[in-house]
Amino acid sequence: MRFVSNFPYGRAPLWLLVIAVVSVGLRVVTARRHEARPDLVIVTHTEAQFDAYRKAIPRFERDHGVKVQLQFANWASLQARLQNAILAGTEVPDLSEVFAGSLGFFTRGPAEDFGLLDLTDRMRADGLDKRLVESRLSLWSTRGRVYALPHDVHPVMLAYRRDLVEALGIDVSKLTTWEKFVEVGQQVSRDLDGDGIIDRYMLDMRYDGNWALQVLMFQRGGQIFDQQGEVAFATEDNAQLIRWYIEQTRGPHKIGYECGWGQPVVRAMTDGLVLFQWAPDWRSWVFADEAPALAGKMALMPLPAWTPGGRRTSTWGGTGLMIMKQTRHPDLAWELAKYLYFDTTQLGERFLATNILPALKDAWNLPEFATPFPYYSNQRVGQMYAELAPEAPPVYSSPVDDAGRLALDRAYNRSAQYYSQHGEAGLLEKIRAELAEAAESVRRLARREKILAKGTL
Amino acid sequence: MNAKVRQRPVRPPGRPRYKGKAPYLFLSPYLVLTAAFFVVPFVNAIMLAFYETNGPRSRAFVGLDNFVFLFTDPIFLRALLNTTVFALVSVFIQLPLSMALALLLNSGGDKVKGFFRLVFFSPNLVGQVLVGILFSVLFTPRYGLVNRGFQLVLHWGLEARWLSEPRLIMPAIVLTSLWLWVGFNMIYFLAALQTVDKTLQEAARIDGASPWQIFWHVTLPSMRHVVVFVVIMSVIGSYQLFELPLTLLSESYGYGANDAGLTLITYLNYNAFRCGDLGLGSAVGWVVAMIIFIVSLIQIRLGRIAEED
Amino acid sequence: MNVLQILLLTLFLAFVLLRLLGRRQTASRFARWTLLCLGAVVVLAPFTWLLAAVFKDRSVLNEFIFLPPVEQWSEKTLNLDNFRALFKGRPSLTGPVYFWEYVLNSTVYATCTTVLQIFFCSLGGYALAKYEFRGKTALTLFMLGSMMIPSVLLLAPLYKMVVDLGLVDSLAGLIIPGMVGTYGIFLFRQACLAVPNEMIDAARLDGCGEFGIYLRLVMPLVRPMAAAFCLICFLGNWNAFFAPNVFLHSQDKLTLPVVLNLYLGEFRHDQGVFLTGTALAMIPPAVLFFALQREFISGLTSGAVKG
Repeated sequence: MRFVSNFPYGRAPLWLLVIAVVSVGLRVVTARRHEARPDLVIVTHTEAQFDAYRKAIPRFERDHGVKVQLQFANWASLQARLQNAILAGTEVPDLSEVFAGSLGFFTRGPAEDFGLLDLTDRMRADGLDKRLVESRLSLWSTRGRVYALPHDVHPVMLAYRRDLVEALGIDVSKLTTWEKFVEVGQQVSRDLDGDGIIDRYMLDMRYDGNWALQVLMFQRGGQIFDQQGEVAFATEDNAQLIRWYIEQTRGPHKIGYECGWGQPVVRAMTDGLVLFQWAPDWRSWVFADEAPALAGKMALMPLPAWTPGGRRTSTWGGTGLMIMKQTRHPDLAWELAKYLYFDTTQLGERFLATNILPALKDAWNLPEFATPFPYYSNQRVGQMYAELAPEAPPVYSSPVDDAGRLALDRAYNRSAQYYSQHGEAGLLEKIRAELAEAAESVRRLARREKILAKGTL
Repeated sequence: MNAKVRQRPVRPPGRPRYKGKAPYLFLSPYLVLTAAFFVVPFVNAIMLAFYETNGPRSRAFVGLDNFVFLFTDPIFLRALLNTTVFALVSVFIQLPLSMALALLLNSGGDKVKGFFRLVFFSPNLVGQVLVGILFSVLFTPRYGLVNRGFQLVLHWGLEARWLSEPRLIMPAIVLTSLWLWVGFNMIYFLAALQTVDKTLQEAARIDGASPWQIFWHVTLPSMRHVVVFVVIMSVIGSYQLFELPLTLLSESYGYGANDAGLTLITYLNYNAFRCGDLGLGSAVGWVVAMIIFIVSLIQIRLGRIAEED
Repeated sequence: MNVLQILLLTLFLAFVLLRLLGRRQTASRFARWTLLCLGAVVVLAPFTWLLAAVFKDRSVLNEFIFLPPVEQWSEKTLNLDNFRALFKGRPSLTGPVYFWEYVLNSTVYATCTTVLQIFFCSLGGYALAKYEFRGKTALTLFMLGSMMIPSVLLLAPLYKMVVDLGLVDSLAGLIIPGMVGTYGIFLFRQACLAVPNEMIDAARLDGCGEFGIYLRLVMPLVRPMAAAFCLICFLGNWNAFFAPNVFLHSQDKLTLPVVLNLYLGEFRHDQGVFLTGTALAMIPPAVLFFALQREFISGLTSGAVKG
């Protein structure tokens, strides 16, 4: 052991050296061979989609005689990778799925410098703009041009504990407006065992606004940005909405409670802590997957409207497929995109696997969409969502999307804090002031963006 | 004659300038790698601060506009405030706790000491990212470990919304950072305590000094090198706090409700990488570097003054 | 008043009692150990929760703080499902990728970077400590300055460079830029400063080459610092997230933190599997720390104490 004790750097570095050499050897020996450069690379960030595309791609490869490589990356790392690659000017995948609200990053600066392929003309040529739900194109457009294909519509319904709601004698078909919903909710949300902590709430509402506030805002017809990409959330309507939301989450007769994500939501639903949950189509599947014990006890209902006869759904999120301008085979990439997204032979199966309604209206007639769903008391979930889909509100995007959402949240949180300290007095004025300030902060950022578009100061 | 002699740095006596190539050779790996992988990105980043960018092509020279934007942006100023508050908390709450732990542990037997050392250091074995995600689960209202723990002991806090109530967000970050780094700094202090001259302490005790006086006037001054070092490292680390708030508040990119959790580097990350404005990000980098530089200077100065006492 | 509060109250009263009885020594020792144990409990609580969560079934993850009462233990409440899910292969183009491959990747990355850093940083630190040469002050200032720039900024240009070198999506692309770090150089510099100059001069007179002096004389004397640095560097690289996240693309090349993060996707939160992976990922650093405790501490302070 003389060598060991004489190794100049000490015992630990020696051991690490040994481990390093051994592990490198192992790594080299077990390394997988990666194929030659494929013709097209497509990246997705959802496992369900990865599985679906894996099944679908071989046929495309055979039909076109090309090699397509499918990669999987979770959204945060995919986004970091794409952003760094674009910023550094290095190679990017040919096609990539992207989450709604992230389009802004890829569409900053002058249009010639966008990293994305303009898909508007191709869509018109193939007549897709008529066959897709029109409101979805807004999500993926900027300055009137479309830059990504919509994957879905994501209409929003409410999922509720049917057994508990019925036991309380509530008839959900009567909950057609938010006013009625709140009225019932106030009777329901109470402290049941007298320990000062409310044991049952009507609805899951995020404490800090965020997506819950946005879903409600879109339902009302509010927008963060307008069609020209200008800031549009500093309106009287939104001020009223914020006041309503504050009341429902912090007021003396609150009906909302924040459940979070994952296991806490399951607990809340199982315990009956919260009766109603937000259920866009993708989340209806997640509930079924994460809380199987509640099978048969749950049901879905459209959102209560803000005005009698008004819109009974909203939208939350969205995935799109973008084609990078740097691709060497734009036409082939376009064919692949259409094949994966709009081939009706696959869409039925995919719906059964994820409950996600595609943006292609023709697909909704497929038999799979009419299957009864035992988890939700045998309701025909596909049809319910399909009926609501045409009403899904448009969402307009802008290069400073993220900043807009953050600013709206900021205005909400400051107003809510004001309410905690001063109550109703002067709340509406405070909300208006905060909204105006938030809108101004987004405009400052948008002005910077315009400098890039012009190229000079 | 009042000819001013140019001051040359005083070299320790007996160390003439080395004539051979050895130091250059020894440093060559560092120099080569730095030149290859650091200097170019570094210069790039420095220069970018005077541009507004979106990728390699669209780039507009804006001079000092980025800096003007920063200092008139209430959100950046909030980030500056939050980060400074966090740095102060680090120095005045976290370090005293570490010191207290080190003092408590100093008098035990070896095995016991080793056990407690491992225990208190163990949070550092998990990376910051995973700690952030873990704690975002632990801070869940009603069901989370932290909420339940507080409820059991203090009858308060079951519903505390640590990560959505603006007033609780910074405390949540502080609690997590305490869990992580109190043990880490305790180890520095513990080892430094072992080098303190016990005879001095004995003498002070015989003279009738109270434990607190012994600590303040004998122990602490003997440890001042370590203390200064730890304080400086703590402050530098605080100003670069990033991964922890980012993973705790992942839904708002580290901002938190009402920007309560926003730190300088989270602001940088958001603007540079989510918005694509690397120029603004570089400007923030400049500001952070300047702050760290100034603070380090101040602390070294203060350390020297303490030394002269 | 629940059990916990009663316990805390009892401890406090015991301390007060001891003080009143004039047994100062015992009182302070009692207080000391109580506080330490309480602190240990607080620090270990999240780990205990983690360990319990690893074995709990998904459906009861939040029902009990730690473990369900023994009567309720069954396949439904405690099982190894999380482990099974973790060890199941993740889908990739070249076939399923198993957990051990990620561990291997992390091991290669962390150990290679650490070993290389020990070598290069000790060389550099020794040069800075024991030689006077032209440009030394400038170099030191440059190094100090470079430590103050947030490293996040350098990620994008570095990525471009790595891509241009053809090293993207490989562990080599992570290891090579990370082979030398200024922090390491400064740590070794501190340690080398403590080596008496007379020894070095004597060795020089004896005819040892410069490299020989470094390797056979100085390095053995700074072993504690090398061990300390070993641990710090290994920890940092084992748990590194941001650079591997961006630089590694293929499923089979990912390191542990990146893979664990994948289990918390946008739509599904597979907390159980994530927590299991975290718990397993803690084992190698814990083993290393346990083995190196003493040297770690003496090494750290041999640097800091000398100032």
